Amino acid sequence: MNPLAIDFCGLKLDSPIVLLSGCVGFGEEYTRVAGFSNTDAGAIVLKGTTLAPRLGNAPHRVWETPAGMLNAIGLQNPGVDHVIREILPKLDFDETRFIANVCGSTVEEYAEVTRRFDDSPIDAMEINISCPNVREGGVAFGNYPGMSAQVVAACRAVTRKPLIVKLSPNQTDIAANARACVDAGADAFAVINTLMGMAIDPETRQPIIGNIQGGLSGPAIRPIALLKVHQVYEEVRRDGTPIIGQGGIETADDALTFLLAGSATVGVGTALFYDPLAAKKINAGLASYLDSHGLGSVAELVGALDSGDALDVPASG
Amino acid sequence: MRYLDTDGYPWPSRTRRIPLTIRGTIFLEEAEILEHRAYPAEQYIVTVSAPEAARHATPGSFAHIRCDPGIPLRRPLSIMRAERASGRLQFLYKPVGAGLAALATREPGERISVLAPIGRGFEPDPARPRILAVGGGVGIPPIVFLAEDLRERAGLELMVMMGSEVPFPFDLVPATRAIDGVPETASQSLALFEQWGIESRLASGAGLAGCFDGFVTDLANGWLRASTKQELARTQIVSCGPEPMLRATAELAYAYDLPCQVAVEEYMACGVGGCAGCTLEVHGANGAAMKRVCVDGPVFDVRSIYAKPSIGS
Ligand SMILES: Cc1cc2nc3c(=O)[nH]c(=O)nc-3n(C[C@H](O)[C@H](O)[C@H](O)COP(=O)(O)OP(=O)(O)OC[C@H]3O[C@@H](n4cnc5c(N)ncnc54)[C@H](O)[C@@H]3O)c2cc1C
Ligand SMILES: Cc1cc2nc3c(=O)[nH]c(=O)nc-3n(C[C@H](O)[C@H](O)[C@H](O)COP(=O)(O)O)c2cc1C
Ligand code: FES
Repeated sequence: MNPLAIDFCGLKLDSPIVLLSGCVGFGEEYTRVAGFSNTDAGAIVLKGTTLAPRLGNAPHRVWETPAGMLNAIGLQNPGVDHVIREILPKLDFDETRFIANVCGSTVEEYAEVTRRFDDSPIDAMEINISCPNVREGGVAFGNYPGMSAQVVAACRAVTRKPLIVKLSPNQTDIAANARACVDAGADAFAVINTLMGMAIDPETRQPIIGNIQGGLSGPAIRPIALLKVHQVYEEVRRDGTPIIGQGGIETADDALTFLLAGSATVGVGTALFYDPLAAKKINAGLASYLDSHGLGSVAELVGALDSGDALDVPASG
Repeated sequence: MRYLDTDGYPWPSRTRRIPLTIRGTIFLEEAEILEHRAYPAEQYIVTVSAPEAARHATPGSFAHIRCDPGIPLRRPLSIMRAERASGRLQFLYKPVGAGLAALATREPGERISVLAPIGRGFEPDPARPRILAVGGGVGIPPIVFLAEDLRERAGLELMVMMGSEVPFPFDLVPATRAIDGVPETASQSLALFEQWGIESRLASGAGLAGCFDGFVTDLANGWLRASTKQELARTQIVSCGPEPMLRATAELAYAYDLPCQVAVEEYMACGVGGCAGCTLEVHGANGAAMKRVCVDGPVFDVRSIYAKPSIGS
């Protein structure tokens, strides 16, 4: 048996690694790199998709920051119908599972995009209620549990495929939001999306990112992401709702910490930009950890955090 | 054959379909630095061993380079020379910030991660054998590559014009032939190009000896103005350089009604088409579209980027 195989909302994944939305285009882009294979990932999440095509934001869209980067792509995508008609038929579903990333500016748009993906070969839908880079919709839905639940309920009503809700770190109580989403029918969570940030060029006195603000990703956000995964896991573990932990993961050790904190699968995004073969290396590292610790399955690590007596003391400092 | 419509990512279009052979076309190599030389005004030429990239590189393609293990994001650099036989790649660069400054400290014997070759390079129109190649500053490398690549192609007339505000990081020699429309002050050419039997002339606003005093596009304009109608009908322009230079090149292309391809720059993250971080607004028959500079470019038709200048401007 493949020790890295894991069940995620009924999907059989060959690896706990998920390649993240917005980092791998519509699933085929990274195969340009010799040695990269979609089979190294348990699942691949496609770029955020809206009902109508979107051109996205003005340049510059990306900027390196200490141990990370800012991005404000603005959900550039060709629209859900194009994705279903022109792109999905060209993906090789034997290689991995493909997950759509659903975006919208209204509850109705989220539901309509979900409904159209429901009638397609896509394996699951990730509801992106946490995109910081578009003015309307996006993160506005993600910051209020009541609105998040509305979006989830509307999407739930139109599909039986697994519904993953992508949570924003830019909110006060992520666990409360997760609870509202489970109650509204969420099958899984993606934790976390990017944190909002900004960069300014002192010479020109202008913001560097065309959209002024952007989403911060990469190793810089890893400790925050780890904590959010832990918080969401503590809230939803009794429901058995699995999590795709993400935020700055680049090595097998990083992946292990997220699994221990409670995520069933681990997302890799920004790390691919500098290490396109990261997924292969993380798989190898996880396999060797399981081997050296006498474990038969990666599932045994999920939520296996040994927190001693500390759990009841949430305050810091 | 199965097709991947890469145009579908930035924007739907039914015109161009690219075969799935995009798979495995970019190589990740731990490239040993063979030689690393500093030139005046913080210019560097680095030669590395990257056999796969050297074998597959085409003029206009670039490498996405990890400058230093402590700086995660890669930096794009145009490939200046690619030698298939020896597996060598050469780059010319000028640090702007921390990344390339860190690269400048790396010594021969050390290894750097090179992701290459990337992008659609120059595709000169075979129907127009008279090629004016205009390069400026750190836009010179792809022009050198194109010239070297085309030098043995029969029937081509190549005229290379380069501009720089700092001393050229190349050996110069007196040009051997007078050229119509080129002032005598532009008396130097690149030694390498003389060896290859390619005409070249230089321009600089910094008062460099043997260079035309002014913009490289003004030098090019003189040459175009001296060309006959028949010559212009066989002429095309390829160009790479700073934005104002590309804009001026676009004006030449419109003024003389010449096809023109330019290589452009934009900030990049992945470099392989995955993030849509590097897009540029292009205009075609289907209206505006956002194209990725990394894999849809970096070479674009100048008319798709710059509108025709209005009269009087
Ligand atoms: C296809 C392509 C080919 C290029 N070829 C060359 C070349 O042959 N020689 C050369 O000297 N330069 C070249 N450049 C420009 C070079 O990539 C930038 O100068 C370099 O990335 C700046 O990095 P830095 O660390 O020195 O500066 P920083 O200011 O520290 O860079 C910060 C961030 O901004 C990005 N950035 C800043 N300026 C540019 C720019 N002009 N283009 C793209 N990204 C930028 C960097 O990549 C980095 O992510 C090329 C750019 C592109 C897109
Ligand atoms: C360039 C870029 C584009 C992104 N686009 C999307 C998107 O369209 N939808 C989405 O849900 N998340 C998007 N994200 C967020 C990532 O999917 C991921 O949640 C985040 O970057 C944290 O993981 P990382 O640090 O491993 O990149 C994007 C991230 C980056 C860097
Ligand atoms: S840099 Fe990521 S798509 Fe071009």
